[in-house]
Amino acid sequence: MSLPQPLGTQLRVMKYLFKGIALGRGLKVRNPGGFERLVAAIYGTPDRVPILAQPYTYAMSMHGLEASVFFSKARPFIGASFNFARYFDIDFWSPVFDFYNIEAEALGQRLIWRKHSEPDVDTSQPLIKSEDDLKRLRPPVPGVSGRMPFVLESYKRYIELMGIPPMVYACSPFTMAVLLRGYVNFIRDIRRNPRFAHRLLDFLSMEVVVPWIEKMVETTTASIVVMSDAWASQPNVTTDMVREFCLPYIEKIVKATNSSLRTVVDTGSWGECSVGDPREVLDIKYEMITRGNFFKSLRPLFLLVWNEDYEKIGIVTARRYAEEKSVCLMLNVRPNLIEEGPPEAIVSAMRKIIREGAGRGKFVIIMNLIPVASPLENVFTVVESVKQFGSYPISDEIETIPFRPPAFMPFSDWFRREGLPLD
Amino acid sequence: MDWEASMKEAVSGGDEVEAARIADAALEKGVAPGDILEKGAVPGIYEAGRLWREGTFFLPDIILAAEAFKEVFVKVEPLLKSGDIAYKGKVVIGTVQGDAHDIGKNLVIAMLRCASYEVVDLGVDVAPYAFVKAACEHEACVLGMGAYMTTTMRVMEEVIRLLDEAGLKKRLKVVVGGAAVTRAYAEWLGADGYGEDAVRAVEVIDALLGWSR
Repeated sequence: MSLPQPLGTQLRVMKYLFKGIALGRGLKVRNPGGFERLVAAIYGTPDRVPILAQPYTYAMSMHGLEASVFFSKARPFIGASFNFARYFDIDFWSPVFDFYNIEAEALGQRLIWRKHSEPDVDTSQPLIKSEDDLKRLRPPVPGVSGRMPFVLESYKRYIELMGIPPMVYACSPFTMAVLLRGYVNFIRDIRRNPRFAHRLLDFLSMEVVVPWIEKMVETTTASIVVMSDAWASQPNVTTDMVREFCLPYIEKIVKATNSSLRTVVDTGSWGECSVGDPREVLDIKYEMITRGNFFKSLRPLFLLVWNEDYEKIGIVTARRYAEEKSVCLMLNVRPNLIEEGPPEAIVSAMRKIIREGAGRGKFVIIMNLIPVASPLENVFTVVESVKQFGSYPISDEIETIPFRPPAFMPFSDWFRREGLPLD
Repeated sequence: MDWEASMKEAVSGGDEVEAARIADAALEKGVAPGDILEKGAVPGIYEAGRLWREGTFFLPDIILAAEAFKEVFVKVEPLLKSGDIAYKGKVVIGTVQGDAHDIGKNLVIAMLRCASYEVVDLGVDVAPYAFVKAACEHEACVLGMGAYMTTTMRVMEEVIRLLDEAGLKKRLKVVVGGAAVTRAYAEWLGADGYGEDAVRAVEVIDALLGWSR
């Protein structure tokens, strides 16, 4: 007898969580799966460093899909992402679409669609051109407006295939305000008309983001909600601007939507390398993930630091900060490296990331973006490097451990034999 | 305060409305269009640059200053007579196809105009062939390309290939930049210069054209 879907899914998640936490605390767990390994890495020390990926446009390209299909139809979108993750044997993946655009599009913002890349907000036509436009604006109907139905259908399909809810995504109000007003206009608002800027942020937070998060959570029972905030990065904005115009709204949203079993975070942005003291930005990012969240030590919090920054400030600086705050550190692999290779350079970079970043746990590696022209061999090399060098305790001899190049079947052959049909 | 000082303050302070108003008033009084740029707007943007270097200004301040400069420039440019400004050269610039980011490009344009370059702005999402066509039509001495996403920077390779095919690669200098582009990629691409930021982009172009002191 099968349990009702939401309850069955939640019980399954609880089982994985307990196993993952047990693994992270050093208990023996037989054949841990990728999700359990991720949980172990967030809370402690897993058997090895988990490797995550955002399938995104690389999965789209592998399957020969056009953006108009991949970013608007649930079955091909999830099917291609699922195949990608299985083919490369990724530990954990989430259905990542153009998550900055969903709420903006649902409000009526025009997007630019292209054949082979994700849609973009048409910044030449901002939806809110004046204060009056905000007065006229009606909030979207959560789950109905724009491509919100596509997002919910995609999540449902993910649950069908994976048996667990995905991480769900929302656009942070600060970044959404920039997308809807245009960067220069919004900076002018902040400087000259801060009351309007606050009114806009309040509208986006409480009438757009909160109802959308509630709808996504109702549909999926997701336990992690991630808001992304590219425009709250330095040097685009100053840390003072983030403190006044970004953090208070994150807190409001988190307080309105999280619970003891659900964590809502803003994973922040980047910019550690563009300020004199990287801690200035790391502190802001730490606030972004913790604001409004009570029982912080029990939450699956992670501090994301991107290659543009860690290559300049040093992985060790990011690692020390994460250890000091007792949060999991997540580092990406430089997208251009995956595209350009060669495999020897990838292996060398992965050795460095693991040697300097892995510590005694609380560490995750993510391929956040794989450029579409990246050779399959390079992607496999990233995954294999983590598998071969990332077992805990990390070897002191990591530089001398020989790397065994990955053996793999061409994707078309694999797809014929094992791939999930996309329709 | 005289109009020059007021204009300088409006531009450096990023007040595009006030800068445009002062430009209008000065034109009405018979100030030469070239002087409006040279004695008011350019000192304003240089002041913003100075405050940026000393750490008083942040990127948003510089961008607002560049926007205020642009407002004055757009007003004054159609009134300039040949010879009002001794241009150092003509730069055709745009953001590559598939990429709609224009903040960095606009900043480079403002800096180039301040440094007495004539600039043809192709905008964003520019097709490879459009770069080549514009460089040819405008007889540019520099072609500038920006890419702000790793997914779009590869378009630059196509532009270089088309420039080569058209025999233009040897006649003009190609300078690339943008958040996604690295110096190593620019070198691999065969670009003549790499602009790490807007100020550096102007220095690189100055050096390529022999204007560096």
